[in-house]
Amino acid sequence: MKTVSMFIPCTVDIMLPQIGDDTYRLLKRLDVNPLYHEDQTCCGQPAINAGYLKHAREVAKHFIDVFGEDEVVVSPSGSCVWTVKHHYPELLCDEPDYAQRAEELAGRIYELSQYIVDVLGLEDVGASFQGKVTYHESCHILRGLGISDQPKRLITAAKGVEFMPLNNADRCCGFGGEFANNYPDISEEMVKDKVNNYISSKADLLVLCEPGCMLNIGGYLSRNRPDKKVMHIASFLSASI
Amino acid sequence: MKIRTEQFKQVAIKEMANARTKMFLGLLPPVFAAMRASALATFPDPAAATAYSASIREEVVASLPELLEEFEKNAVARGAKVFWARDARQANEFILDLARKKGITYTTKGKSMVSEEMGLNDYLKNNGIEPFETDLGEFIAQQLNRPPFHLVGPAINVPPEEICELFIEKADMQEPTHDPVQLGYAARRYLRDKFHNLDMSITGINMAVAETGTIINVENEGNIRLNKSTPKTQVSIMSLEKVVPTMRDAMHLLRMLCRNCTGQKISAYVSFDSGPKKADEIDGPDELYIVIIDNGRSRIYQDLKTRQSLRCIRCGACMNNCPVYSTIGGYPYGWAYTGPMGQVLTPLMLGFDKTQDLYRACTLCGSCKSVCPGGIDHPGMFLYYRSKDVEGDQKFKAKKRDWKEERFFDLWSFGTTRSWAWKLGSKLVRPFLNIHAHHGIVSKIIGGYAFEGWFRNRDLPAFPEKTFHERWKDIQ
Repeated sequence: MKTVSMFIPCTVDIMLPQIGDDTYRLLKRLDVNPLYHEDQTCCGQPAINAGYLKHAREVAKHFIDVFGEDEVVVSPSGSCVWTVKHHYPELLCDEPDYAQRAEELAGRIYELSQYIVDVLGLEDVGASFQGKVTYHESCHILRGLGISDQPKRLITAAKGVEFMPLNNADRCCGFGGEFANNYPDISEEMVKDKVNNYISSKADLLVLCEPGCMLNIGGYLSRNRPDKKVMHIASFLSASI
Repeated sequence: MKIRTEQFKQVAIKEMANARTKMFLGLLPPVFAAMRASALATFPDPAAATAYSASIREEVVASLPELLEEFEKNAVARGAKVFWARDARQANEFILDLARKKGITYTTKGKSMVSEEMGLNDYLKNNGIEPFETDLGEFIAQQLNRPPFHLVGPAINVPPEEICELFIEKADMQEPTHDPVQLGYAARRYLRDKFHNLDMSITGINMAVAETGTIINVENEGNIRLNKSTPKTQVSIMSLEKVVPTMRDAMHLLRMLCRNCTGQKISAYVSFDSGPKKADEIDGPDELYIVIIDNGRSRIYQDLKTRQSLRCIRCGACMNNCPVYSTIGGYPYGWAYTGPMGQVLTPLMLGFDKTQDLYRACTLCGSCKSVCPGGIDHPGMFLYYRSKDVEGDQKFKAKKRDWKEERFFDLWSFGTTRSWAWKLGSKLVRPFLNIHAHHGIVSKIIGGYAFEGWFRNRDLPAFPEKTFHERWKDIQ
C-alpha cells in the first residue's frame, strides 16, 4: 500500500476542514495510506505575497522539518504546492541546512488531482453526481503547476456528470489573497465575471481545486446567489462514494 | 505628462463605472487572445519560439554595455550621429536645441512610448515647437490631452462620436462622420500636409541592431516610414534596452513582436534604416540623430533582479491578458506604461513610494508571465518589490509598511513555526471570529475594519467547531 503525507493548508484547517476529511477519505478509498503530521501549520504563502521573506523563510524551514523526510506529499491546494515547489528553493537557497532539502521536496509534492491521475493513474474514482458540472481553472494550478486536464478527467469520469464548458475558465476569480481585501472594487468585478460565466454555463455545480478561490467565489455566491454552489474537488470526488 | 500613479484606486473606480469602457474591455481580451493564438500557431512550436525570444532578451540585458557600444560604433560608421542622454531632461534639451539650430517651428512624430516617458511633447510645445503626432491613435490622444489607454492602442477606447467632434474642432474636418475609415482619411488629410518640405521628424525605435547599426521600426499606418523618409533631419529615440545583438536576433524578435502585439505575422510596414541618405540614394534624411536614453535604466541594470524588467519588447500582450487591466483599463496606471509591463517598469523609474498600487493591485495570477515573449516573471517582480518595502530599501524609495502589519506577521510566524501555538491560536480566535455568525455564515467580524474590503461583497463560512487538527483524532 502506498503511503502519502497530507499537507492540509491553513485555510482548510481553520475554515474548511471538511476538505481535509474528504481528502483523507478519498485517498483511503484509493488504497492509499494517508499520513497526517500534527506539527504542520501553513506553507508561508501569505508572508511571501506580502513581502515578509524573513518570516516566510522561518515558516518554510518549519515546513521542511515536518515534511522533509516524506516520500510523497499531497495537498488539496495548488497554490500551496506551488509555494513549496517554486518559492522554497529560492527562499532557502542561502540556508545550508535547507537548500538541498527544499530542492528535493519540490520534486515530491503533488496537488491532489495531479497525484490521483498522474501518479496513481486513475480517472474513475467511483464518484457520482447527477447533474451538470463545470470547472474553474485556478491560476496557480493552471499556470503555475500546469495542471488542467487531470481534474477535468476526474470530474468527467464521475457517474451521471454532464461536463459543461466554462467561458473564461482560465481567468482569475479576483482572489489573490490580500488583493481581495485591499482592492475590493476591482476584485468584486472579477468575481462577478466569474460567477456570471458560471451561471451562463448552465452548470449546477462549480468544482475547483483551490481553497482560496473557493472562499472567494463561495463567499460572493453566499452573499449574492446563495442558490449556486461551489465545491472542492476532494469533496466532489469523495462525497458520493 | 502629469504623473498620476498615486490616484490608481480613484481612477480605477471611475473607469469601472464607465459603461462604454467596460463594454470595450469585455471585448478586447478575447479578441486579442484569439488573434495572438492563431498568429503564434503559425510557428511549428510556439513555446519554443517564445523560449527563443526570451533567451535573446536575456542575452541583451546580460550584455547591455557591450551591445550599446557596438551599436554606436556601427551606427556612426554608417553616418548616424549618436547622442547619449542620462535622463529625460538631457534628451529633451538636446532635441529642443537641435530644433532651434534648424530654425523649425514644428516637428512630426511617430509613435514612441519613450517620448511619453520623457514628456517630450509638452516640453517642445512649452518651448515654442509644435509636435504633431502622426500615428492615428497617438494623434487622437494628443488632441484630447489624455494619457495612453493602452501601450499599443493609446486611444483605442475613444468612440468615433468623440473623435468626430474632436476632428471638427482641431483637425479641419468639414463634414461630421462616425465612419472610422472617413475619420482616418480626415486625420490623413490634415497630417499629410505636415510632411511636405519637412525639416525635422522624431520617431521611436523598436530595435537597434548592434552588428549593423540599423534601427528598425514596426507599424501599421505608414506614418513612421514617412517620418523617416521625408525630413531633412531625423531624430530617433530609444531607451537603451532596445538594442539586439544581430540581425538574425532582430528577425526573430520581429516575428514575436508582431504576433504578440497585434496578432499579425508581420505588421503592414517594417522599416530598416542604417544611417542617413547616402550620396547615391534618392530618399531618406540628410542627417540621422539617434538619441539613446538611460533615464534610470543603468540603475535598474545594476540590480540582477530588476534588470529583468529591461527584457520587455513593448508588445502589450501582458495587458491584453491581464484580468485587472481588462477590468479597469489603462488610465489608472497613471503614466506612459500601462498594464503589467508598466507595473514592473514604472515603480523602478518613479520610486516605490509613489507607485504602491502598481505592484499591489495584482492577484499574481501569472497570465502576463505566461504570454511574455521577453520571459519576464511579472508576479515574481511584484513580490520582490513588496519585499523591498518590508525592508524599507531606500535604493528603491521603498515605503515601510504599517507597524500593525509588521506585528501581525511577527505573531503569525511565531504561530506557524510552533504547532502548539498554531493549535492554541486557532482555538482562541474562533469565538471572536464567530461573534456575528448566522446560519453558518459570517458577514462581518468583530473589529473588522481591517477586513472591510472582503466583507463588503463577500461572506465567509462560519468558523467550524473543530479545526482539521482537532478532527484528525476522530477521523482515524
